[in-house]
Amino acid sequence: MKTEGMLFAAGAFVFAILTAAYWFTAHEIIGTLCISLTGGLAFLIGFYVLFTGKRVGLRPEDREDGEISDADVDYGFFSPHSWWPLPLALSAAMMFTGLIFAPWIVALGVVFLFISIFGFVFEYYRGTDLG
Amino acid sequence: MTTMPGTVGFIATSEKEAKKQSVGRLLVSWMTSTDHKVIGYLYLITSFIFFLLAGVMALAMRAELAIPGLQFMSLEQYNQLFTMHGSIMLLLFATPLFIGFGNVIMPLQIGAPDVAFPRLNMLSFYLFLFGGIIVFAGFFSPAGAASFGWYAYSPLTSTEYSPGIGADLWIMGFALSGFGTILGGVNFITTIYTMRAPGMTMFRMPIFSWNVLLTSVLVLMAFPPLAAALLVLEMDRRFGAQVFDAANGGAILWQHLFWFFGHPEVYILALPFFGIISEIIPVFSRKPIFGYKGLVFATIAIAGLSVAVWAHHMYITGAVYLPFFAFMTMLIAIPTGVKFFNWIGTMWKGSISFETPMLWTIGFLVTFLFGGLTGVILAAPPLDFHVSDSYFVVAHFHYVVFGTVAFSMFAGFYYWWPKFTGKMLDEKLGKVHFWLLFIGFHGTFLVQHWLGVEGMPRRYGDYLASDGFTGINIFSTIGSFILGASTLPFIYNIWKTWKKAPKVTSDDPWGWGASLEWATSCPPPRHNFITMPKIRSERPAFDLHHPDAENIVGRDELLKKILGPADVSMSDLKSDENKEQA
Repeated sequence: MKTEGMLFAAGAFVFAILTAAYWFTAHEIIGTLCISLTGGLAFLIGFYVLFTGKRVGLRPEDREDGEISDADVDYGFFSPHSWWPLPLALSAAMMFTGLIFAPWIVALGVVFLFISIFGFVFEYYRGTDLG
Repeated sequence: MTTMPGTVGFIATSEKEAKKQSVGRLLVSWMTSTDHKVIGYLYLITSFIFFLLAGVMALAMRAELAIPGLQFMSLEQYNQLFTMHGSIMLLLFATPLFIGFGNVIMPLQIGAPDVAFPRLNMLSFYLFLFGGIIVFAGFFSPAGAASFGWYAYSPLTSTEYSPGIGADLWIMGFALSGFGTILGGVNFITTIYTMRAPGMTMFRMPIFSWNVLLTSVLVLMAFPPLAAALLVLEMDRRFGAQVFDAANGGAILWQHLFWFFGHPEVYILALPFFGIISEIIPVFSRKPIFGYKGLVFATIAIAGLSVAVWAHHMYITGAVYLPFFAFMTMLIAIPTGVKFFNWIGTMWKGSISFETPMLWTIGFLVTFLFGGLTGVILAAPPLDFHVSDSYFVVAHFHYVVFGTVAFSMFAGFYYWWPKFTGKMLDEKLGKVHFWLLFIGFHGTFLVQHWLGVEGMPRRYGDYLASDGFTGINIFSTIGSFILGASTLPFIYNIWKTWKKAPKVTSDDPWGWGASLEWATSCPPPRHNFITMPKIRSERPAFDLHHPDAENIVGRDELLKKILGPADVSMSDLKSDENKEQA
């Protein structure tokens, strides 16, 4: 994960320099804030990825001699199909347009949003006891 | 060749399903799909429809501008048309087109069975679709669609100047679709970081996947400021927040925030399409990409610098520090030049053939080069002051954006069509399509440079006969209708291919495909690969299909290190570093 992390870490470094360069030449607050916050975002992701990369070590995709058979047999779960994205996006759209027309549409949108978030998150949840 | 764990079962079920599909079933299966390819096609189809709609708007504007006087629309309608044309083309056509291509191709190229969050992927699509519909619905509101220009400068966006709800629909629709784009970016980054096939190191990823990654990073940097600014703008309009009130300096605040999004957005449009070009040139030049690492670092440099050039859109406000932005803008021309150098280096002494994808690529190179050169002119404040907000700028950004997005889109369509559908598009019709579009495009926009220099401002719906703009405008309008007509052979081509073309039988119909998508069937099975070749270079499919190929470029050790793995032969991969890692 070293290359992946360094990409963002390098970004944080460059944006820090750019922030300083911009502030000391242009003396302008909006841009300074924008670039420095972008640097903060890059630092956050870079730090997390580098930290995690150190913890998990070299994965098969990080090794130049990685074999296909090295991949984890339990590769992951992929939803075959799902209805939930549709109501979730619909209720978000309802909330957004409701803001233009009337507060009660927003309120109704929020209710639908919570229902569909619940459905989306717990679609494949079958209890903790695996029984 | 090893079987990918856990994929075979999925394929068996999806093939069983395919047999009993009626129209209703197909619709439901697409609506509830979590397959990255299907979602990618949905993105490509929807964004192409928006492309056609915004294209028709452009033709209406060109028709109005052909001769002096107002022929068939009011100035307000003209304002609505250029606003919607610009914003639809950028945010509902080009940006989702990137997510479409990224969705279909990127997981195939890195050897992943799907994207990291398949349901989130579908959610992003729906947010984009509904956001787009909300924006477009503005046309059906009493006062018409938004009419303040695609960059929505304050105070034009205030309720005094834009009282209609078309403006509100524009703001909220783009905020909604913006969230979809952000989620799409997160999905792509996670997929590339965690789901590459074993042996697919970062520096073995195809250039297109690299560019999808860096574009997604740009999305993370640019879209949140836009979403925030749009929501605050709506607060101004609905609740009287006065953040962007011109009396409090809000006009400049909006410009800063908008262009802090707006300029990286230009690279969001450009980078993935540079990636398509970088995929096509090596295949039709029969050579590995020249200077793989140089190309990757050039892209990283563009992404990094893109946050420091936004205010070159604001030179004429007099409120920005010109030397900083002029310098940074000139600086960003360098990595872009490096890319051109690499593309030409790849073609150099190659065995080039001009199938349609390569033809479109050459069209891109020519068109984008023009746009890049006028970009350097506009980067210099003393020159920019004279042509800012004139047709020179219109010509410039159409060369840049149409050059990258539209030319590369068609290059990508012709190149990957067999991978999408299992059938090759007709070459002859493709060439007719290309030449019509090429002549139409340059006819429309080349003359607009001179129109701008002569002083015609952008966004004017009318001009006087005594201005002397009539001749160029008529020429430009004729060009634009040729450009519009060029879409017809393409649509006929799609229909003809769908009905009559034979099925592609090989995995790699072009014969020299390099990246992993050419190592699986056309179209690929549900989870992409039944078997996966060993990945030992950045051209795994090429290594699989042409095991005897000689390494063409470079025997010099130092040169190999600088130019990157693309130019390293197989035997050189066993360096000391690898032994340590093993």
